Amino acid sequence: MKTISLNVNGKVYDLQVRDSELLIETLRERLGFKGTKYSCLEGECGACTVLVDGKNMLSCLMLTLDAQDRKITTIEGLAPSQGELHPIQQAFIDEGAVQCGFCTPGMILAAKSLLDKTPEPGPEEIARALDGNLCRCTGYVRIISAVESAARKLK
Amino acid sequence: MKTTSPVGKSVPRIDARLKVTGEAKFVFDLEFPGMLVGRMLRSPHAHARIVKIDTSKAEKLPGVRAVVTAEDTPKIKFGSNEYFFPYTVDQLPLESEKVRYIGDEIAAVAAVDEETAEKALSLIDVTYEVLPAVFDPLEAMKPGAPAIHSAMNNIGVMLPVHFGNPDKGLKEADYVREDIFTLPSAAHCALEPHVSVGQYELATSRITLWTSTQAPFKIREAMAKTLRMAEADIRVIKLNVGGGFGGKLEMFPMDFAACLLSKKSGGLPVKITASRTEVFSFTRRKHPMIYKLKSGVKKDGTITAITGEVIADGGAYCSYGPTVIAAATMRLFMVYKIKNIRMFGSRVYTNNPVCGAIRGFGGVQSGFAIESHMDMLARGIGMDPVEFRLKNATDPDTLTVNKMILSSNGLKECIRKGAEVSGWKEKYGRKKDEGQDTARGIGLGIAADVMGSKMYKSHESAGTIIKVEEDGSVYLFTGAADTGQGSDTAMAQIAAQEMGIAYERIRVKAADTEITPFDTGSFASRVTFISGNATRNAARDAKRQVLDVVGRELKLDPVSLDIRDESVVEAATGKVLLSFDQAITLCSSFNYGQLIIGRGSYNPKTTPIDFRTGEGNISGSYGFEAQIAEVEVNKKTGRVRVLRMYDVHDIGYPINPVSVHGQIEGSIIMGIGYTFHENLRFRDGKVLNPNFSKYRIPRSMDRTTIESIFVETNDPQGPFGAKGMGEASLLPTAAAIANAIFDAVGVQIKDLPITPQKVLAALKSVRT
Repeated sequence: MKTISLNVNGKVYDLQVRDSELLIETLRERLGFKGTKYSCLEGECGACTVLVDGKNMLSCLMLTLDAQDRKITTIEGLAPSQGELHPIQQAFIDEGAVQCGFCTPGMILAAKSLLDKTPEPGPEEIARALDGNLCRCTGYVRIISAVESAARKLK
Repeated sequence: MKTTSPVGKSVPRIDARLKVTGEAKFVFDLEFPGMLVGRMLRSPHAHARIVKIDTSKAEKLPGVRAVVTAEDTPKIKFGSNEYFFPYTVDQLPLESEKVRYIGDEIAAVAAVDEETAEKALSLIDVTYEVLPAVFDPLEAMKPGAPAIHSAMNNIGVMLPVHFGNPDKGLKEADYVREDIFTLPSAAHCALEPHVSVGQYELATSRITLWTSTQAPFKIREAMAKTLRMAEADIRVIKLNVGGGFGGKLEMFPMDFAACLLSKKSGGLPVKITASRTEVFSFTRRKHPMIYKLKSGVKKDGTITAITGEVIADGGAYCSYGPTVIAAATMRLFMVYKIKNIRMFGSRVYTNNPVCGAIRGFGGVQSGFAIESHMDMLARGIGMDPVEFRLKNATDPDTLTVNKMILSSNGLKECIRKGAEVSGWKEKYGRKKDEGQDTARGIGLGIAADVMGSKMYKSHESAGTIIKVEEDGSVYLFTGAADTGQGSDTAMAQIAAQEMGIAYERIRVKAADTEITPFDTGSFASRVTFISGNATRNAARDAKRQVLDVVGRELKLDPVSLDIRDESVVEAATGKVLLSFDQAITLCSSFNYGQLIIGRGSYNPKTTPIDFRTGEGNISGSYGFEAQIAEVEVNKKTGRVRVLRMYDVHDIGYPINPVSVHGQIEGSIIMGIGYTFHENLRFRDGKVLNPNFSKYRIPRSMDRTTIESIFVETNDPQGPFGAKGMGEASLLPTAAAIANAIFDAVGVQIKDLPITPQKVLAALKSVRT
């Protein structure tokens, strides 16, 4: 057990953490950020994607101890303010990129990480950046157009 | 924003905002105070007699709250096609005498945490007497094979289809060919794993089950039966569901166990979440099939006879086996005009994991076999595959030889339009080597689908209730299970359209067996058509109630009134009389006090199938489509790239065009996965690839360009002309691609998945 402070969505939490505790466990089970999903717990589906210092990381493969002193953003922390949506979230709605919604939080955060580095990605770059995030419903077509559309709006 | 007349518009999904913010609740996310963790104990043997189960050590482990075995249950079997096929009811929620596959459920534990639950499982002593097992369906059918149930030769389901004189038809043919296709097993891979939370209420002896399901009412029925309880004492609630694809269409032992564990632990809620390995290995999977066809054609392209045999590995229990075999052998009646046909489907018990429903039922397997076979028949008589299909495709207003009633039917238009937009004439059969190593080709597959399948109950009704509150807000209660396909949105659009009000007014409360009307569930592409009609009927009823009050107040005949764009109008002139809000205020005023509660139900007009011949009209209407694939084959590596897919689909009328396109795109990419790499593999009954790294589903880099085009036939029975369409686009994909590969390089792969090795081997055998 170690005591750490964890910065999630701009808020600092002081927590007693087991050495083996995974970030996904801390986020979902202890802090209640249920928007972060998981489908495999083996680093293969991307549903547990969160941003760590702005970069998309798999929270099922990260120890909570290693997240100390880093800025974690979950889907709950993406919108600029209550009642508003981030342009990527809005684009996912507008383009019909949401079906069952289970991959959506991870997908949106992976897209955010991409657009922060690459403001004007082409479809191929988007597909490559999202390749670790599985979706079984959409066939990815509308997810990729949503990210393209968000990129245009964010310019 | 106010969207009136929303049908036909791509309004944002009713649940999209909750899903992009991560607030949408799935059963996966449920937590209750005191909630226990449940785990299933599964058989490590493929076939064994259970000699003894000793749970005493597990029960004594600190932190364990309950252990259940078959001894805690009434030992009643369940099945999924009970109504027509009572003999396929063959699975106990917890087995007591025998296990039939690796993973068969024997016991379950509930404990304070995961570690304790896992430890408790390891402390349950089960003594087995291992029995000889059989894994190959052909071996299982042989006399002397291990008997898995009491079925003769382990054949659990036999379905014959017979019409006309197929032998005479074959004799009259100018060209006859015989092909054998093999289809592998596959997994659904819904991203939300199977998960159940059960809670027993001590004071009332009632159960509440929250479960990730496509069919809450079906689970209620199976739970009541297997627990020997009244349906009224079981409440099944569905929340957002993270995909189903047929894999969440029945009660699972974990649903049953969660409730039983809760009862035994004194009413604490128990949550059982399947791991990804469990989902792959121990839920349900696609039936692998051997599909033999022998058919004849005349020189002019007329099909004179189709004969065939289907042998499916069913695994340890029957599940939806009869429906799958029926779909595998009978779908072609909707697609082709046939007079002479003989098919025989056998579903064989093996000691492999259980096969069940998966998007398309058996239609994906038969789609590959039949559509590949049809191309080869066309080639045999030197006929263009498009012309061949047009020659034999079914027409509108047709009574098929097995008495299916195809009323609206855009199949031929789909084929023609597909050929036109894809540039078929310019591309098909042309020499098109793109360089030294690659060649391009184009291929076609066609399909049809039901919208509903009356195979699990005496009726297939769905119901909807609509209540309008005093403030004008509208609540819609439906038993339809949105699993991501967007049915809640479609129901809201249909209700708003019929009531003449804005889509944004409507809130959907879906799928709680205690609150919402009955609905058989999300399967057989039935929800838009059947639940949609129920919703339209409820909306019509609610609107009539509003107009009755307005008519009385204004002394006008209610029949002369209508609601349009949120206003009550004179139907003939469109003259606005009142706003909808004013009308509702009037309804709840002192003089009237009229609460608006609309109700509607719908049971499609069908006739039962006679399963001795295949005769009957299984669906209220039918959907059709043509799919064309363009591929590039690398002759050196055997790799195939799908350049473009064209999907022309008779969807009747699209309630929400973007959602409809989304279903089609998702189906096609799923089909591409099944074509090239999805293959759930086994050795001695054990799944070899139960994870996403070894069982690869399509990723974003695997996507392809899809042109999805609608043919609008405005079905007279469909709500606003709409048809169901969630499965058809998956049916012809593999064949369209296989046929395109032939067009490119002259080899026809009849064995899925189409791997580079198979393409290379085929190329080599052509050359030598």
